[in-house]
Parts: sequence; C-alpha cells; structure tokens
Amino acid sequence: MKTSKGWFSIFVGPILFAFIVVVIIPMFMGVYYSFTSWNGINNNATWVGLKNYVEIFTEDKEFLDVFLFTAKFAIVSVISINLIGFLLALLVTKGLKVSNFLRSAFFLPNLIGGLILGFIWQFIFTKGFDAVGAKLGIEFLRGWLADTQTGFWGLVILMSWQMSGYMMVIYIAALQNIPDSLLEAAEIDGAGSFEKLIHITIPLVAPAFTIGLFLTLSNSFKLYDQNLSLTGGGPYNSTQMLAMNIYNTAFKFNDFGLAQAKAVIFLITVAAISITQIYYSKKKEVEM
Amino acid sequence: MFKSKRLLALTIILVMAASMFFTGCSKKEEVAQETGKVEVDVFQFKVEIAKELENAARDYEAEHPDVKINIQTVGGGDDYGAALKARFQSGNEPDIYNVGGPQDLKDWTSKLEDLSNEPWVEKALDGVLSGATMDGKVYALPFNIEGYGFVYNKGIFEAAGIDPTKIVDYASLEEAVKTLDGKIKAGELKEKYPTLEAVFEYAAKETWVTGLHTSNVALSQEFPSSLDAYNSKNVEFKYGDSLKKIIDLQADYSSNGKTRAKLNAVDYSTQVEQGLAIERVAIIQQGNWVYGGVKSIDEKVADNLAILPMPVVGAKEDSIPVGVPMHWAINKDSDDASKAAAKDFLNWLYTSEKGKDYVVNKFYFIPAFKGYENFEPQDSLGKAVKAYAEAGKTVPWVFMGYPTGWGMDMLGANIQKYLAGEMTWDELIKDSQERWTKERS
Amino acid sequence: MKNKNKLSLWIISILSGLLFLSPFYIVLTNSFKTQKGIFTDVMGLPKDFFTTNNYVEAFIALDFVKSFTNSLLITVGSSLIIIVLSAMAAWMLVRTKTKLSSFLFLVFAAAMLIPFQSVMLPLINIMGKVGLLNPGGLMFMYLGFGSSLSIILYHGFIKGIPKELEEAATIDGCNKLQVFFYIIFPLLKPITVTVSILNVMWIWNDFLLPQLVINDPKWHTIPLKMFYFFGQFSKRWDLALAGLVIAMIPIILFYFVAQKHIIKGVTQGSIK
Repeated sequence: MKTSKGWFSIFVGPILFAFIVVVIIPMFMGVYYSFTSWNGINNNATWVGLKNYVEIFTEDKEFLDVFLFTAKFAIVSVISINLIGFLLALLVTKGLKVSNFLRSAFFLPNLIGGLILGFIWQFIFTKGFDAVGAKLGIEFLRGWLADTQTGFWGLVILMSWQMSGYMMVIYIAALQNIPDSLLEAAEIDGAGSFEKLIHITIPLVAPAFTIGLFLTLSNSFKLYDQNLSLTGGGPYNSTQMLAMNIYNTAFKFNDFGLAQAKAVIFLITVAAISITQIYYSKKKEVEM
Repeated sequence: MFKSKRLLALTIILVMAASMFFTGCSKKEEVAQETGKVEVDVFQFKVEIAKELENAARDYEAEHPDVKINIQTVGGGDDYGAALKARFQSGNEPDIYNVGGPQDLKDWTSKLEDLSNEPWVEKALDGVLSGATMDGKVYALPFNIEGYGFVYNKGIFEAAGIDPTKIVDYASLEEAVKTLDGKIKAGELKEKYPTLEAVFEYAAKETWVTGLHTSNVALSQEFPSSLDAYNSKNVEFKYGDSLKKIIDLQADYSSNGKTRAKLNAVDYSTQVEQGLAIERVAIIQQGNWVYGGVKSIDEKVADNLAILPMPVVGAKEDSIPVGVPMHWAINKDSDDASKAAAKDFLNWLYTSEKGKDYVVNKFYFIPAFKGYENFEPQDSLGKAVKAYAEAGKTVPWVFMGYPTGWGMDMLGANIQKYLAGEMTWDELIKDSQERWTKERS
Repeated sequence: MKNKNKLSLWIISILSGLLFLSPFYIVLTNSFKTQKGIFTDVMGLPKDFFTTNNYVEAFIALDFVKSFTNSLLITVGSSLIIIVLSAMAAWMLVRTKTKLSSFLFLVFAAAMLIPFQSVMLPLINIMGKVGLLNPGGLMFMYLGFGSSLSIILYHGFIKGIPKELEEAATIDGCNKLQVFFYIIFPLLKPITVTVSILNVMWIWNDFLLPQLVINDPKWHTIPLKMFYFFGQFSKRWDLALAGLVIAMIPIILFYFVAQKHIIKGVTQGSIK
C-alpha cells in the first residue's frame, strides 16, 4: 500500500478506467465495426473488409456533398465568428458606460444549449422573417430554410450569434494584455487608430486568433444539435452535415457498418485539422 | 504495475458499485421482488395520445392491482425508429413497442411475439391485419385506421359557390381549384375570409407528406397491398403522370405557386395550423389526424371540414387512401409474466368497454375492429373517413412496403429537388426506380 | 472630434446589443400569444392574443420540476465526480516522473481530438450490455468524456505549485490522500471553479448522449423533454416558445449569479 505504484493507481485508476471504457475501447471497436456489415439490431457483424470504405468513395455521392457542405460551412462560419467576435471585443474595450451590459448580452447566447437555439432560430427564420417579408413585400425574407442557400446562411447566422460572444471573451483577454505604453507611444508618433490596429493590436492578438480558429473550426465540423433542430438536414438532405449524416446512416438506414466507416473518416479529418492547426500556429508564434 | 493489479481491481469494483448505486432500481426483477407486481414497459411514438394513454394505463392498473405499466413516448415519428433501436441496443428492452409495416416486421422478426391466438384477432375488420401478418401469422395489433385526402374548408367552398359533391374525378377537381383560385385573386372572398390567400398549402418540407402520402396515391394503384410493394423487385410508376398532376396542382395553386422552391420550407404546422386553421388556404393534403390541431386554434373551422378524393387519372378517381399507420407489438424476449400482462393490457384497451371509450373518445381513433357500434367517431374528419370506408371508396396504404428510407429520405428529397427545379420529373422517376431496385437487390 | 467618435461608437454598441438580444425578444413576446396570434402577427406585441396559458401548459408538459431536478442531479453529480477524480489524477501525473505517466497524459490530451460521433455507436452497445444506463451510466460516461479537458486544465495549474508544501506535509506523516485533500485540493480552488463551470455548461446543455442513454422517462432531462415538444407531428409553437423560455430561465439566472466566474472560466479553458 505504501508503494508509489499503489498510490499511483489509487489516484489515476478510477478516471483512467472510465476513460478507457468510454473513449478508448469504443474507438477501437468502432474501427473494427467499420469493416463489418453490422445492422445495429442483432449482434452478428460479418467481416466485409474494405467494402464500406469503397462504397463511400465510389457509390455514395451524398457523402461527398455532405463533406463539402460541412467544409464550406466550417470555413465561412470560422471567418464570420472570429471576425464578429474580434469586432465585439474592440467595441466593448472602448471604455463606454454600456460596456458591461453589452458584454453580458453578447455572451448570453452561448450558454444556452444548441438544440434550444436551433429551435429559436427556426422560429425566427420561418415565422419572423416570413411575417416581416410579407408585410414589407421583401421577397428575399420569405421561405427561409427552403433551399440550400438560405439553410446554409441560416446555420452560419445561428452559429455566429452563438459563438461570437464566446470568442469575444477570449479576444478581450488578449486585448487587455496589450501594454498601454505601446499604444501611447504609437499615438505620440502620430499613428491613427487604424494604423494602431494594424501594426500593434492585431499582431499582439495573433496567439489568441490561433486559439479562436482552432476552437471554432473543430466545433463547426462537429456540429449536430443545431443542425438537427434548425434544418433537420433539409431540403433534400442538402444542409446535412457530417455528424448528422453518420447518425442517419446508422439509425435511419440501419447501416451501422457504413456509418462507422464514415465515423472513422470523420475522426481522421477532425484530428488532422486540429493537429495541423496546432502545429502551424505554434510555428508562427515562435517566428514572431 | 503488478502489485497494483489488485488495487486497480478494487478501484474498478468501487467505481462500479458507486455507479450501480446511482442507477437506482430500474431492474425489473428487483422491483418485482419488492412489490410483487408485474411491470410492463411500453415504448410508443404517438405524442398526441401520450397523456390519455397514461390515464388508460392507470385505469387498467386499478382493475389489475398486480400489474404496473410504465409508458414512455418518443416525440416525432421520424425519430421513433432510431430511438427504439437505441433502446434495444442498450439492453433495456421494452415489452410493448410499435412497428409499421412489412419492412419493420422483417427487421424486428427476432423480437416479435406471435399474437395469432389473441382474442382481438377475429374482431379485426377486413384487410386491416395485412400489414401485421407475416407467413400467415399475426404479429402486431393495428393502432387504428387513418385516412387522408384533400381536407377542405366547406365554408369557403360554399362562399365561392362550388358544390363539393360534384367533385368525383381529376377533371372536376381541377376545375373547382381554378374557379376558387380565380375568385381569391379577384378578391371576391376578401370580405368573408380576409386571411384567405391561396387554394392549397403543400408541406414539402415534411418528406412523409410528399414521399409517403402523395406517392402512395399513385403507387397504391400499382401494388395492391404493402406486402406486394415489399415483395416487388422494381417500381414501374405506372401512374407517374397522374402523380405529377397531383403534385403540380398543389404546388401551382399554393401561396408559393410562382416560387415553388419555397414550398420546401413549408412544414406541418405552416400547412395545418398556419394554413387551414386560420383560413389562409382552403385545401390541404392531410388526414383525419389534423382535427385536434385545427380545433386547438379554431373549433368552428375544425367542425366545418370534410375530405375530397385524391384522384389518380386512369385508375381510381373517387377514393381516398385508408390504412393502418402503426401497430403495437410485443417483445418475444420479455419474461413470461410481462408478456402475459402486456397481451392482456392491449386486449383490454381495444375490446373492453372502458378501453373502447379511450380509443374512440380520448385518442380520437377510428378503430380497426368490430364491436364499436356504440362508439361512433365524433369529429368531422373521422366521420368523413368512415363514410369513404363504408362506401368502399378507399385505396390501400402501401408505403409501409417501400424499401427502408426510400419513401421519405429518397423520394421525398427528390420531390423537393423537383419543386426547386433542381431535377426534372423524368430524372425523378428514373432515379427513384434505380434506388428501389438497388435497395431490393 | 472625440465626442463625435464616442457618439457613433455608442450608437453602434446599442444597435449591436439590440440585434443580439432581438431573438430573445421575439421568443418572449410570442410565448405570450395564442397560436392564432403567432400565425397572424409575429412581430407585434401580444395585444389581442395575450395569454399566459402557454406557460401553464408548457410547465406541465415539460414536467418541469422533475426534469429540472434530473438535470440538476446529473449535472452536479457528474461535475463533482469529474472534479475530484481528475484533480487527483492530474496531481499524480504531474508529480510522477515516469514514462507511463507522461504517456498517459499524452493519451488524455490526444483524446480531445476524438469527436463523440465516432465512438457513439459502439459505446452505447457496450454500456447496454453491461447494464450501465440511465443516470448512473450517464455520469460514468460524462466522467470518461470529461476527463481529457479537466485533466489538462488541472495539469497546467498544478505544474505551477511548488513541491515544498507537500514535502513538509509528508514529513509530518501525512499519507498521499491526506496530503492531497488537506493541502493540494484547497490550493486548486481557482482552477476548480473554471473546470466546474466548463463541465456544468457542457453537461447541462447536452442532448445527444442523454437521448441515447436515458431510456427511463423518470430521468428525462430538460433538453430531452424539450425535444418532446417538437414531435414531428405536433408542432405547437405557442407551447414550444413558452417551453423554450422556461428552459432558458435557470441558465440565465445562473449566468447572472456567476457571471464573473463564467467569463473567467471560459477564458482560461480556451487558452489551454
């Protein structure tokens, strides 16, 4: 009992056990199932080799569309979330009296669960927009979420509204770390506010951008709740994202083997994005 | 590390014990031992009857003090199949659950109790057990009978001077729609119906409305029953042209007639509650299940509804599709006591006087069994469906026999593409045929 | 010049604040309307169609007291287990200089990259077979999924704590558990607040895992009950909006009480 190994297992054992059962074992089993024709109801999974993967890359046209849609969404929403988040951060650090109230208002949406937010925006897009459009005769506001285009932008708007307050908080922390003396010195040298932003603020906030990009990119890629409650993937599955496609392949078409193969591809993609990003941003920071 | 093996084992046991402690006593055997009651777990999908079904269960428990019935309802028919699978996956299997048609029966074969010898079997109306029968054995009890068609507002027809009894085929339907459309656009009905803006509303967002219900009108003329559809290797779309007519008619004379792509955002509540119920539109393709929803908004409108036929040009033009939407099934692997109680509960629900009262007057069901002479449907749409059924003017529901996912996820999505102009009608037919053949091979 | 700038900034601020809050406004006003009111006039105030009945009905349909209690129990229970066990593990991993220890930490950190959907299907299968479902199983799974981030955060914090304190205590004859709980754990308070905030926010709002794991209606959490409203065949916006408001109230209250900690927690949690 006195050995350090004994103590080690007392302290690390319980959580390690949960972690192995919940994350590690299912991950390996998942990889195994992706080579079988498991249907999820009974427990006989026959080994089919690479068949599921071949099907994804040759026959399943939809998966490519879903993948591209997800990637497009991730890129657009990452830009929009971080841009808005940064602008909000600039806005509330200007020392206005309403700053504190604003900070709370901007941050509020991301405390609420994605499912609930999706329902809220579904109501706004389909009923609110429609009513305003009908009243003012603006055709553009009617029939939102009816096509891929508005479904896509609907998701982007929802995610920007939800996540930009979160990013704002991170950027505020970064902005507050910029020494005032630097900005004052620049002002004495006759720099305008725009020049200060370009030459001092943005370079110094760069590390925070890395964090922001990393967080939003993996979040956007993994989106499920909001996708489910806002568009449900419609119309004609054109706003379906990866996570939902995996869920539907398993539970709607009873093809757990194929779903698991998609899940493995999904895992590799998400992991690859994150690793690349960490690697590049670390390198960049060092150079600076 | 070797010395610590025992310790690791100990911690594992501790964690397990802790989590067992939190799990509480959901283990049936334990409960049974404690209270001596037989537990029946019901896992069902119909949100609309959740509350009333609870009450029925309480009444049954009052009569059978040795039985406890736990009911769990899953929101949304779309998610029920997934939730049920997850539930079976998790090992906590229900005793009573729901299955649709032949495809479900096949998927769940290993979990279906044979119900051929139950007392309600011989009380069933002609043909209602076809979707619950496999290899000559009955495996499930039909929930109810439902019918759908063109549900219309009688008041608006009257105001426009259209006689609905004259609408018996596609030609007369189209003529009535054009007349009504002309009067709406000319503003002749503005005074009496200020919110009226179009003839139809078509819920293309709900792929079950298009991919299952609309398509069934044409395919029920091609396959005599859902079992035939289930056994067919191919789909021909013999009446594809008249299917196109029915879709186009609803789309072109809807409020989005000029911008058909926008129909893909129209959901059930826009069609029923924000369409028919507030008198924004005069006709919708829906069934008798919308009565409650319309009534909750405007009782006067609800009581003034009736159903027009859904005509298939070149086949039956004066009928509506009537069928069994869902069945109750019993889990073969449950313990015998629970199975016996489950069978008895279902039998009680559909054949005892108290149960019948629930079925007809609380669930608003049209029963699939004989012996309900004293329980006539009270609502306008239930009456309308019953009238069609009694006159023999019905076509079957065959979409239960479509390949898994074909109707909603494939055809429903293709109809959305067609409305959005992303797909021509011929492409839709071709793609749908190919997918059917692929699924069946 | 300065004042003009201030004014335009002020106007921009107010406008963007209103823009951000407008969804809440729309939900709130419509939640007091009858269905007919919502369909005929979405943007207006609920004048002729005013009703509070939606709230009564939604409250009952949500079985709010029960689902709130369930959410609270599951959230607090899981967070407590995660905090204690991950703090213990992180301390040990920092203080043990072996290959195994660094390897384990690396695995915990790497697992951050695993998306839930890629382990969901096999996980539910395993847990079902072992019979670990409903709250107990759910808490166990949260412990597994929550371990990575919590251990990383504690690990980073503990590295900055000098060893002298512990050594002194050990000389006084405390064993490791006593050292940890009497000396170390109290020192971790700032980071513990962060870890608990992050876990509470995640678990409280989680939908997919409970949907797969909780199959006993007695244990439905708020998001699960919310889903019930939106059953595919009975979309009732009037009740649903009231339900959404009810579901949001606890979170918003929590936010006002713990705002400072939440903001700090989010900042720290993301910078790691």
